[in-house]
Amino acid sequence: MERITIVCFLASYAMALGLEFLNQIRPMRLIYWLALAFGSAGLVAQTIFLAVQQPPLSWQFGWMLFLAWILAVFYLVGSVHHRRLSWGLFVLPLVLGLVGLGAAFGRRPDSSASSSADVLSIPTAWGMIHGWLLMLAAVGLCVGFLASLMYLVQAHRLRAKTLPGHGLRLWSLERIEAMNRRAIVLAFPLLTAGMLVGLVLMFQENLSGWTDPRVLASVVLWIAFAVLLYLRFGYHLRGRPAALLTILTFVLLVGCLALPHWGQGGGR
Amino acid sequence: MNLLAIGCSYKTTPIEVRERLAFKDDHLSRAHTELGAGFDCEAVILSTCNRVEIYAGCVLDDLKSQRELDAESIVEFFADFHNMPLAEVRPHLYIHRQAEAVRHLFRVAASLDSMIVGEGQIAGQVKRAYEQAVHDDSVGPLLHTLFRHARQVARRVRTETGIAHGHVSVSSAAVDYVKQVFDHFDDKTILVLGAGKMGELTLRHLRQLKPRRIWVANRSPEKAQAVAKGCGGEAMPWEKLDDLLARADIVLSTTGAPEPIVTRERYQQIDARRSGGPLVILDIAVPRDFDPRIHDGDRTCLFNIDDLKRIREATLADRLKHVDPAEAIVNQETKAFLKDWARRRHGPVIARLTQDFESKRREIVSELLGKLNGRLTDDDRRRIEGAFRLLLNRLLHGPITALTEETHTGGGGHTLLDALRKLFRLQE
Repeated sequence: MERITIVCFLASYAMALGLEFLNQIRPMRLIYWLALAFGSAGLVAQTIFLAVQQPPLSWQFGWMLFLAWILAVFYLVGSVHHRRLSWGLFVLPLVLGLVGLGAAFGRRPDSSASSSADVLSIPTAWGMIHGWLLMLAAVGLCVGFLASLMYLVQAHRLRAKTLPGHGLRLWSLERIEAMNRRAIVLAFPLLTAGMLVGLVLMFQENLSGWTDPRVLASVVLWIAFAVLLYLRFGYHLRGRPAALLTILTFVLLVGCLALPHWGQGGGR
Repeated sequence: MNLLAIGCSYKTTPIEVRERLAFKDDHLSRAHTELGAGFDCEAVILSTCNRVEIYAGCVLDDLKSQRELDAESIVEFFADFHNMPLAEVRPHLYIHRQAEAVRHLFRVAASLDSMIVGEGQIAGQVKRAYEQAVHDDSVGPLLHTLFRHARQVARRVRTETGIAHGHVSVSSAAVDYVKQVFDHFDDKTILVLGAGKMGELTLRHLRQLKPRRIWVANRSPEKAQAVAKGCGGEAMPWEKLDDLLARADIVLSTTGAPEPIVTRERYQQIDARRSGGPLVILDIAVPRDFDPRIHDGDRTCLFNIDDLKRIREATLADRLKHVDPAEAIVNQETKAFLKDWARRRHGPVIARLTQDFESKRREIVSELLGKLNGRLTDDDRRRIEGAFRLLLNRLLHGPITALTEETHTGGGGHTLLDALRKLFRLQE
């Protein structure tokens, strides 16, 4: 069990993605099942890896791997329930990207992980709740990001008047937009709640870590998210601009995770 | 089996002749009866707008002399029934016999012989033709089996190949595009502009999506009322067109206007008032009613008649790729039918042959055992009976195997069956 490395599930997911591409070009039942088998193998390997290594959520490494794990579950569930859709072509690159990013961050905790502001490192129930709320908010944002990508692709297909049934198989614009809407509507309260819990924990530590780059980055993310929601529902922003804004917020999320790490010389 | 398929189709015969050769619904029963009585055969008449065919067959009793169905007599029946000169009818008719007739029916039912390959109507027409013949009591064991098998072949071809995929009518292709934009329709409003014939067909397909409401606007209020009445919609004043466009989800435009009724500038004003989701415009009018520049694939999706025709052409091209696999299924099923039919036909002969030999064996063995009565042990009796049974099996093994092999290779086994009948005097 301890011999399972990141390469094991990274390779499985990459194989699954390759097969998904092949299935897109030449649809065959066998290829579909093979892609599903490789995806499942990757998920099993990742589950064992997470269970054995138990990387804490306070490290970007662990955080990224847990996020990728949840999205890999999404990939399998989506592929089984919507086997005619090109679902894997969108989800798997994100899973691979997150795992790759996690690996790039490295396993060792960065210097801020041991600081007093790192509420995730506090081994309390509230610390765990804080971490998981932020994690679920990130899942929501990832789903919103995927839906936005799908929306842009589908809108492009419609703009080019691509024949229905040819090329990528996607849901209707209406359904993709509903998926995006639900994802961000669920993600924002989770993010807010996660940040509030973090704030309470920080007060307990006498506000000693509010200048931590990750705390500041989270605040920036929350503000960006609030702007997205306002434009989406207050300003009735829909369609392509709403999709682009969601993608931008997702990029900000990745930036929030990456910048504090690299800013402090992590990942080397 | 003696089977004939005689008829004409759009491939061989112009519509003027097909019209005259067609069997009208109220003449079908008489035709079935006359065929059955006149030729002592089973008959099914398939009469559609693209083909008129008679399937005639009879089961040859293997123990009686064979009687061939005369194809030329049925051709004469074709001409006589429609009061047409034989010389005029004959050049248009094709005749398929035996295995070719089976294959032809399977191709017809699987829509491989149709004008639009893969169209779904023909399977239903074959089924109705068969049901009519059953109703007229002109179907026997051969055509019962054949037409049931044809339905299975049609189903197999449709499910195992992509020959029936996609839409080939412009009106149904419109629905494909609409479904790329919308997921559900119970909260959608369809706005119909104009009252063209093509619009009616498209609207029929759109209504199957069960929209929340249908508005009809026309420059003539009377026409709007008429169309609205026909589709269960609501007639709306033409003067409120901008307002209607701002509130509709799907627009079906089919006016006869000589120039676009909605220019880009006018639409920009309408779009600014729209607060809902995207608008799908199906502009099937020629000349077009909407300025094509309003299409952006996001807020506004505009599809015109050429876009819809592209779906039809692509579907037809795609279907042609599936013709070869479909033909392979038809060939496979034709062989399977012929084998199955031959097996059914040979089965009783083999059974009779075996019974005949078995009764003779028993007779001889019991006579022998009677003569040797008292001088044999039970073991001796068993050995004698076993030896005679073995002899019988070895004698019959050759002819039965040859007949079975002939059946499996699709040869039909007519000559062998005749030989068996004569050699072993089964007739008697």
